[in-house]
Amino acid sequence: MRTHFDVFGLKRAYDVDVPALEKQYRELSLQLHPDRVAQASARERLQALEGTTALNEAFKTLKDPVRRAFYLLKLHGIDLDREDAGAQKDMPLAFLEEVMDLRESLDTAMAKKDLGRARAMADDVEARKKAALTEAAESLRTLEAGEPGDGGQEQVRKASHALGRVRYFTRFLEQVDAFEEEIQA
Amino acid sequence: MSKNGYLQIHDPLKPKGQAVGIDLGTTNSLVAAVVKDQPVCVPVDEGDALFLPSVVHYAKDGGVVVGARARKLASEHPTDTIASVKRFMGRSPDDAETRKLGHYKFAPGAKVVRFDVAGGTPVTPIEVSGEVLRALKRRAEAHFSTKVEQAVITVPAYFDDTQRQATKDAGRLAGLEVLRLLNEPTAAALAYGLDKGSQGTFAVYDLGGGTFDVSILKLVDGVFEVKSTGGDSALGGDDFDRAIAQRVLETLGASEAPAPALVAEVLAASRKAKEALTDAASVEFSAGGQTHSVKREDFDAWVQPFVQKTGTVCRRAMKDAGVTAGELDGVILVGGATRVPAVRRYVAELFGREPLGDIDPDQVVALGAAVLANLLTTADRQDDVLLLDVIPLSLGLETMGGIVEKLIQRNSTIPTTAGQVFTTFKDGQTGLDVHVLQGERELVEDNRSLARFTLSGIPPMAAGMARVEVRFQVDADGILSVSAQEQSTGVSQSITVKPSHGLTDEEIEQMLLDSIDYAEDDIQARQVREQRVDAERVLAEADRQLGEHGSLLQEGERAVIDSAIARVRELMTGEDHLKLKEAVHALDEASRPFIERVMNQAITQVVAGHSVEDY
Repeated sequence: MRTHFDVFGLKRAYDVDVPALEKQYRELSLQLHPDRVAQASARERLQALEGTTALNEAFKTLKDPVRRAFYLLKLHGIDLDREDAGAQKDMPLAFLEEVMDLRESLDTAMAKKDLGRARAMADDVEARKKAALTEAAESLRTLEAGEPGDGGQEQVRKASHALGRVRYFTRFLEQVDAFEEEIQA
Repeated sequence: MSKNGYLQIHDPLKPKGQAVGIDLGTTNSLVAAVVKDQPVCVPVDEGDALFLPSVVHYAKDGGVVVGARARKLASEHPTDTIASVKRFMGRSPDDAETRKLGHYKFAPGAKVVRFDVAGGTPVTPIEVSGEVLRALKRRAEAHFSTKVEQAVITVPAYFDDTQRQATKDAGRLAGLEVLRLLNEPTAAALAYGLDKGSQGTFAVYDLGGGTFDVSILKLVDGVFEVKSTGGDSALGGDDFDRAIAQRVLETLGASEAPAPALVAEVLAASRKAKEALTDAASVEFSAGGQTHSVKREDFDAWVQPFVQKTGTVCRRAMKDAGVTAGELDGVILVGGATRVPAVRRYVAELFGREPLGDIDPDQVVALGAAVLANLLTTADRQDDVLLLDVIPLSLGLETMGGIVEKLIQRNSTIPTTAGQVFTTFKDGQTGLDVHVLQGERELVEDNRSLARFTLSGIPPMAAGMARVEVRFQVDADGILSVSAQEQSTGVSQSITVKPSHGLTDEEIEQMLLDSIDYAEDDIQARQVREQRVDAERVLAEADRQLGEHGSLLQEGERAVIDSAIARVRELMTGEDHLKLKEAVHALDEASRPFIERVMNQAITQVVAGHSVEDY
């Protein structure tokens, strides 16, 4: 299977040189984009469409550390974007309690139209998200280095739990943003 | 217009004449082309004017007049003379935009807007725009003494899929091959970028007659990358005219529904007053038999709410692009309404810098479109220039509970694709509803419905076993196609749909031929169908809950719910969608206490560590 890393001819790894990736993306776009073959045959134009679609998808995934982490985890067999993913069901109980607490506090702030409180919560959650991503990144680095003795099971589980939290925090932050826009409108 | 021969088939080997860029504007439209490596606008109206008023007059004898001459006929024949038609592109008669202050007569009962004009058949906005494009094409052909068959047409970045489809269809009606629909702000940047060889990050602030757009673009190594875009397709300089006109009508003591001729006259006078206020501190004008006077400070105050609306959009666009005002290298102004001093002041304050204005803000979009038309049709280009554009609005699907699941987020670079796997929710289910939506809101009803279809022929299986993958593909014009495929059994089929207001060739033809009565039946039939689908879903859900959680029922409750179910089943075979809707609502009400108990139980189980998905 052709991975997003293959599209850029990169070795699979958590760390990516983003400015270099951007430069390469522009160069590849100049070669592949449908606009370059606007007057060519339908077949060539379809190829250009497919090639550019794949390039855009790969670029979007690799340039963003969060998307990149989810993608690597998916390559290790766990797709957190799938609604029926079993991995979501075995999150630690402590996390579920954290979720309930956050949920309740945000609901209270939103009911009171207390934007200051919501923003303060968002700052705190932003920090937790960052920490969770760092944790996931460490596991993913270890996995890509190919050292763990148990076939990577333990690191995959760690990364999956950390990214499960990242995912929840991201949704939480989106909700605060939506609330903020609603208040300002 | 001719009813035949609007479809053009191109022989790829045939020379195609001059490729042009067209700014199909709300108020005025322009054509430009690259001549001797320079984009220039072409004279298209009386007195070698470089712009053609986007006004179309339909005469009683079936004749069509476009441009300045049509505008002069507006006050005498207000309902037969269509101006600002761009506001109606892809709109339905129920849209808020359609009901704003205006003087048109609409033909009743259609799902697309139809203007009731002299000369027989009502016309759609696509046809009216088609007339403007046809006039531009003819006049450009006369100017170049060669054929004009290929064009890049600009659209506001914030145009949704339906509006884009409508614009492309208008081009086809006019006999043009639409090389590309280009976002207006991107066009403006293209005009600036190539002239100056600029690098950096720019904001393009485009306030036209009827639409507002802002885009954040990054120009590096010949690649124009749109980082984000935002806007309001129902906000523009025309709102400024209306702000004046409404006060004038109040002064005149006009009724709730003033005569169309009076409205047209007052709107025209208000537009002139607005233009005069760019240089003058106050203006006097006559309308409706009285003299009126407007001071600039009053005008500034009246338009302030509109101007501030643009600020919210700009801030969001910067946030989406991940830049602050201080990180920008320049702000480009586009659109006649940016000449209004109150707008310039606001923009300077918002971005903390004086905006650029070297290129005429009325021409810059057409010039940029011409640059792209040239790039797309010149085989051996020396210059490596490329545009990477984004989709302005998120695309998603309806999921359980009337919630939208986004598949493609706004500001994704196009072309792009995305897929999502769905499953069946009851045993033996052979069909799955797919409802495609565009917009940012969470609830289905707050977003724009683009298409709705049922994937049928799924082999009967236990609930949850079938795997239906729905895929979205957005092409380089920002136009979406959707396919659905059942995967689990190796039996696969796919359907490609076009958005409900986007029209196929056959539909365009049909649109011209359809009678109004037919359209009315059509709407009725669709409402019945939709209500039935809804009822089926509610019934299936009730069956499932009663089956799985019957133990939670209280005494007597079952009988009430059963009779509500029977009522829904009975009405489902009928044609009265309103009664059916009532019955569905009654079933909802009857089962609510029971469903709440089910929900409470589910939540308790979640806390015990089963799933966090629903938080």
